[in-house]
Amino acid sequence: MPISPAHQSTDDPRVTLDRELGVFEPIPPYPPRTEREAEFYTLGDGQMFINMGPQHPSTHGVLRVVLKLDGEKVVDLDPVLGYLHRGVEKLCENADYHQAICYTDPLEYVSSLFNEWAPVLAFEKLMDVQVPRRAEYIRVLSSELNRIASHALFLGWMALDLGGLTPILWSFIERDEIVDMLAALTGQRMLFNYFRIGGVNGDLNHEFMSRLGDWMSRATEQIDSGNALLNENEIFVRRMRGLGTIDTATALRMVMTGPNLRATGVPFDIRRAHPYSVFPELDFDIPTRSEGDCLARYLLRMDEIKQSLRIIDQCLHNMPDGPVMAKLPRLMRPRPGRAYAAVEGPRGQYSTYAISDGTDQPFRMRIHDPSFIHLQSVGLMMPGHLIADTMAIMASLDPIMGGVDK
Amino acid sequence: MTVVGRSWDRLTLPGKIIFTAVPVLIILSVSLIAAIALLGGLVVDLLANNLPIVRFVVAVTVVLLMTIPTAFLIIYMEMKVIALMNLRIGPDRVGPFGSLLSVVHGLKVLMKEDFTPTGADPLVFTWAPVVTYLASVMTLLVIPFAPGFFGQDLNLGLLYFFAIGGLSVVGLLMAGWSSYNKYSLLGGLRSAAQVISYEIPLTLSVVGLILLAGTMSLNQIVLNQSGWFTDWYVFQQPLGVLIFFIAATAEANRTPFDLTEADSEIVAGFATEYSGMRFGFFFFAEYVNVFIISALTVTLFFGGWNAPFPWPWPVDLALSPGQLGIGLLILVAIVPLILTVAFAAPIWIVSARIKSWQALLGGFLLANLFVMAMVGAVAYIGIEWVAGLLWFMGKTYVFVFTFVWMRGTLPRVRIDQLMDFAWKWLLPAAFLNLFVTAAAIVVAQSVRPS
Repeated sequence: MPISPAHQSTDDPRVTLDRELGVFEPIPPYPPRTEREAEFYTLGDGQMFINMGPQHPSTHGVLRVVLKLDGEKVVDLDPVLGYLHRGVEKLCENADYHQAICYTDPLEYVSSLFNEWAPVLAFEKLMDVQVPRRAEYIRVLSSELNRIASHALFLGWMALDLGGLTPILWSFIERDEIVDMLAALTGQRMLFNYFRIGGVNGDLNHEFMSRLGDWMSRATEQIDSGNALLNENEIFVRRMRGLGTIDTATALRMVMTGPNLRATGVPFDIRRAHPYSVFPELDFDIPTRSEGDCLARYLLRMDEIKQSLRIIDQCLHNMPDGPVMAKLPRLMRPRPGRAYAAVEGPRGQYSTYAISDGTDQPFRMRIHDPSFIHLQSVGLMMPGHLIADTMAIMASLDPIMGGVDK
Repeated sequence: MTVVGRSWDRLTLPGKIIFTAVPVLIILSVSLIAAIALLGGLVVDLLANNLPIVRFVVAVTVVLLMTIPTAFLIIYMEMKVIALMNLRIGPDRVGPFGSLLSVVHGLKVLMKEDFTPTGADPLVFTWAPVVTYLASVMTLLVIPFAPGFFGQDLNLGLLYFFAIGGLSVVGLLMAGWSSYNKYSLLGGLRSAAQVISYEIPLTLSVVGLILLAGTMSLNQIVLNQSGWFTDWYVFQQPLGVLIFFIAATAEANRTPFDLTEADSEIVAGFATEYSGMRFGFFFFAEYVNVFIISALTVTLFFGGWNAPFPWPWPVDLALSPGQLGIGLLILVAIVPLILTVAFAAPIWIVSARIKSWQALLGGFLLANLFVMAMVGAVAYIGIEWVAGLLWFMGKTYVFVFTFVWMRGTLPRVRIDQLMDFAWKWLLPAAFLNLFVTAAAIVVAQSVRPS
């Protein structure tokens, strides 16, 4: 479409580009670098590109997905990452072991405690630290609360991406209560920075316990009433069932973990498969589903909330006395070596691989984040579906862009 | 400086304005009175000779003016009701219980920059909201609000309604096409597909009713339903009401069929590139549409401005000696109680800070005000007119509430499910409704020839 010079604005790409280009075309301004790129950015008959993001109401952060559309149908897609890259791994190499923990905190800002737990566990392996049992129980207790908060938010976002206004506000009530009690425990609502090498920062306090007891007495009922709005909704179920199906072999090939893998029927949970902390002492089930579609992923997370409530209950009953922090020197220089630790988070496996060269700073720290891994399989699920389904599939995988871009 | 000049300087600004305005006003009113005295008869004759035109102009003005407070009221209602469903407080800052917030929103929209994006077609881009808004508003012309209170009593009123209402999709398509944005384009095309698909079951669902009523004049359809509430067409066309309401929801682009402006999929659909008052027109048109669809449902199937009982019935019950004064007892003892509680309940629900006795007191005062207003209305305007308007508005807002309720609870359907539903379920159901109605009429006529 020719544009008269009167309407040319300063952000028109043609001011900086010499070749003819539509104003909102997502085609990159350089020649294709790979075969795949050349193939993707060649339009077929009746196809068009659409730029979903980086500013879009439902990409859960700043993700840009270039969709190749045929009418309403998605033919192909190309996720463009890196809008939220902060260089966390590099920052961690320039901080000592204590400081590195607070850099990993805002990776997945919805479930910060798990981001802390993985590096803390790796550093403890490096330094051969014995963590007091009370500290371990507090870690399990607070992180399971955080898991419920994260899944509650997932429920709300999922409904919002399908056009339901109410569930997100209902689930935010849940999340708000949990986050408030975690704030009473850790001093922060979002980036807790609570886990330390050798224990946790501060014992359980009265406000936390009273809030927790109050909430536990009505949690099951409250969560069920929130779920009923979606579980019994014909429109919701019809839109989710059979959508974005992924089979077990593909899920394993794409290195999926967590609820997304368990929804395909694999009962893999790091809390049971590679036990850490006090999970061997606790009694809980690993819910699985065999369908592998969006509805299975959603229902599985709702089942996990119930298991988390069970774990919290056991933690409260079995909580031992004692210190919450091991006696450690302030400046720690572990022996040269390498350590790997993984925890089971609300989105899957959070793991850290740390290499020590004998100084007080990690030589290299690699962070494995489940959101990034799960986002890869979007390309397998989406083609052939409609635009509206891309949101549902993306929401059901539950990626957090802070973790994807690191 | 003269004395006059110094006195003038000592006046404040309002004083100066008043001193200049008062003589001007006096002169104007005197000339106006003189003009009326001289030309009044002439003007009245002219108006009386052209009564249809006068009636049309007045009706258009009233309808256009009426849409703005209606849209404000429905927007406020939606904000507040959805807030209560979401366990929020909702608007509570501007005006009593935040009731002026939608007015402030309107002013905000007026003051915002009216932006035309690069590459847009300015002419089509500007006219699109006008077309959509006018198409919504013009349908109000045939809706009978109260006995004798309607714009025009067309004998093809229903056809006019669907014809003009269908025009609004042209505006949406214009907006989607001219914005030079693919989200807008998708929204516009979705609205075209959706509205055209649902137009068919919508129109077919009322054909059975037209057969029953024997007319397409909305006024006549309402008159046909007078009497007890069992005479309403909803009891003769239950399937028709269902199809009509679902299809009308899709026509008005409301949840769960709000695909054209699905914010989580295509940002804001056809309205993505709009700002300022041009967006305001789209926004207004949507809420006016909600009102119109509710009003039409009431008019066609729920008796319009008719009360659910023949009118003198409560008066008879209250005052007839045959009823042993029971009706009078009800009027004196129970109606004030019901009114008090009915007015107290919303006050008590809306604000958590108000105690129940305060709400009851407020309800009592409001009930008294209401009774006084009703008495005044009875005395000065004529009961038939007021009662008809109240019944009509009451029924309409029940349906408006239903729309808001659906928006609060339902997620959105997918475009293929939407199309499947229209063509595979609604359309056959509408045909079934039509055949059953036609057959029933034929049978009834052969059994009981009138």
